[in-house]
Amino acid sequence: MASGFRIFVMVKQVPDMGAKAGLNPDGTIDRARAKRMLNPFDKFALQAALHTKKMYGGSVTAISMGPPPAVEILLEALAHGVDRGFLLSDRRLAASDTLATAYALYKTIQHVGEFDIIFCGLQTTDGDTAQVGPQLAERLNLPQVTYCEDFSVKDGNVHARRIIEGGHQVVIAKPPVLVTIANSYHPLEYKSFRGAWRVQQLQRKQEELAKYITTITLDDVGADIERCGLKGSPTIVAKTEKVGEIGGSCTMHEGKSVDELVKEVITNSNVEEYLLAGKS
Amino acid sequence: MADETEPKKEDAKPEREKPELKDMSDICPIGKVLVFAEHILGDLQPVTLELLGAGRILADKMSQPLLCVVAGHELGDIPQRLVEYGADVVYVADHPELKNYRTLPYRRVICDFLESLPTQPHTMLLGSTTTGRDLAPRIAAHFDTGLTADTTELDIGHYEHTSKVDPTKIGLYPNCLYAIRPSFGESLKARILGPWKNPQMATTRPGVMTPLTREPGRKGEIIQVPVKLQEEDFRLSVDEIVREVSKGINLTEADVIVSGGYGLGTQEGFNLLQELANCFDNAAVGASRKVVDLGWIPYQNQIGQTGKTVRPKLYIACGISGAIQHRVGMSKSGLIIAINKDPEAPIFKFAHHGIVGDCYQIIPEMIKQFKLAKSTSGVKEVVGTH
Ligand SMILES: Cc1cc2nc3c(=O)[nH]c(=O)nc-3n(C[C@H](O)[C@H](O)[C@H](O)COP(=O)(O)OP(=O)(O)OC[C@H]3O[C@@H](n4cnc5c(N)ncnc54)[C@H](O)[C@@H]3O)c2cc1C
Ligand SMILES: Nc1ncnc2c1ncn2[C@@H]1O[C@H](COP(=O)(O)O)[C@@H](O)[C@H]1O
Repeated sequence: MASGFRIFVMVKQVPDMGAKAGLNPDGTIDRARAKRMLNPFDKFALQAALHTKKMYGGSVTAISMGPPPAVEILLEALAHGVDRGFLLSDRRLAASDTLATAYALYKTIQHVGEFDIIFCGLQTTDGDTAQVGPQLAERLNLPQVTYCEDFSVKDGNVHARRIIEGGHQVVIAKPPVLVTIANSYHPLEYKSFRGAWRVQQLQRKQEELAKYITTITLDDVGADIERCGLKGSPTIVAKTEKVGEIGGSCTMHEGKSVDELVKEVITNSNVEEYLLAGKS
Repeated sequence: MADETEPKKEDAKPEREKPELKDMSDICPIGKVLVFAEHILGDLQPVTLELLGAGRILADKMSQPLLCVVAGHELGDIPQRLVEYGADVVYVADHPELKNYRTLPYRRVICDFLESLPTQPHTMLLGSTTTGRDLAPRIAAHFDTGLTADTTELDIGHYEHTSKVDPTKIGLYPNCLYAIRPSFGESLKARILGPWKNPQMATTRPGVMTPLTREPGRKGEIIQVPVKLQEEDFRLSVDEIVREVSKGINLTEADVIVSGGYGLGTQEGFNLLQELANCFDNAAVGASRKVVDLGWIPYQNQIGQTGKTVRPKLYIACGISGAIQHRVGMSKSGLIIAINKDPEAPIFKFAHHGIVGDCYQIIPEMIKQFKLAKSTSGVKEVVGTH
């Protein structure tokens, strides 16, 4: 592998739940005003991709599927140092579940070209399933490392530490391989001033930018429309319900002095039973 | 891009004049329920017993047997234990190469096993663990079937599908798996269905479902399944497995959890919480995600949807608003006491006792009165506590 690794990193744009701007008082999301951001988990994947390139050479391609504004996160990735980005954007992708998403991303990857390592985030903060990575690996018939928190290459083999229940595993694989990066990996480094400046310049010249960021459609990647969007999704959200009040009614203690409030709780509950060494 | 957890428009408004819906039982027939059993180096994982408990209920609703599949090597009494915890039939894939979990060999035996069955199970359940979340999506993708992540409730019920996107799917599905999970960032629960194809799959949060009581000597069928691994299944090898003995009391085993959120204001607030925890027997300190993200306390202490699910006897929430993602991780606690200065905080909707006030006034007073309560109730203080 004289020229290093061909690295792909899968990134998604998600609504920013932290930003007050997009939140209604009841905690629901106001989609029209919601801010958008790069999925926080994908920042760790981006860091893994850039670090791997830095250590072992090669190139990094960021790939995303989403509506046109998702180009913003590809610009952000570019500023951080990825070499190019692809956005799959197509109205027929609306309402894709994880299986349909994985299929569309699989077709996109085939369209983009050969790779050695694909990095994904562990999960998204909106879909929140951690399924797209492994489903993509299945479509590409690749070995996978999920929950990866440390990643290196020795003698052409990938060495990865992955979290398991109550411990960790160290696994070794020969590329090509798909890796999902956990949030215990190193955080994304700040973008360099140069990187940010370069992207700013690029944004002024669309034809220059087009050399780095390509927007493609389902027709470009030759996807079977039946397997995309709502039609290609085996799951459907049949019903959503407000979470009802559970645990019965809450006894409220307020408007008294602090010591009275605490005393009231102690007398009205069985909290004392759990005090150190218990009651004899 | 809409997500799995968002309601799809087609379902928002039911049709006014409802035509008689075609019965789709043949597409989504009643069937067996299958649980994937998980173990690490021969230790059966608690979530497996919980899944058997949940699976038993689903199987009984359909009057069907509960199946379990386990892969490994030299599994000892594990298959029999699975029977004693509710499985009617246990399928065992035994092979030296299956000793430790690895995606591809496990994927191979489970997919081969499913393909060898005359009919697919109606439902397949796995734990939302690092293993279950690694394996389930591969199986679902292989069979092109629906998979719902991180469910907190499961049920069987009917579904009327009227969406015109695919007219061939319109109809009444009498027995679907209801996979229910909290929906993102909103106080909503989403019921997710995939009745077009069996097995309908879901992963379930550890700590949420209730296991059955073990029935020693319970009889069940234990069947060996053939294992045929292929060279491409060995593209990845496990070099080392390390089990970390957790420092301090494990959150999932603590009787009492004192939990802190953004309302603590600073990282130092956790010292006060530790002091409060010290008043109790077998107590641990937990946290909301917000303060974990801020780096005030390690991820291991996070409780909620993307952290741990806990069920202590007593949960004291300090300066935690009670977002749905936090609530799903602790709402089954025996006694919930919440301290929050905002009387409208959502946590007061599901706590048992709510104290409206400032943490920094309430907690020190609690510590004072708890110490007093201990000494007056005749309990000896442990000599030498500093
Ligand atoms: C996909 C996803 C997954 C998530 N997973 C989790 C998860 O696993 N666990 C989790 O906890 N969250 C999770 N969250 C985040 C969750 O939505 C909330 O943002 C988070 O739980 C809020 O944390 P908090 O209650 O500490 O902070 P806040 O919501 O900011 O609440 C702070 C509370 O403290 C009160 N307060 C302030 N000062 C004081 C004081 N001096 N004394 C007493 N009270 C005071 C305030 O009234 C307020 O109610 C997730 C979110 C998403 C989108
Ligand atoms: N629309 C998308 N575009 C690019 N990558 C995605 C997309 N959806 C999911 N992924 C990748 O898959 C990971 C897991 O997503 P999820 O299964 O939605 O939790 C993410 O962290 C991304 O790396």
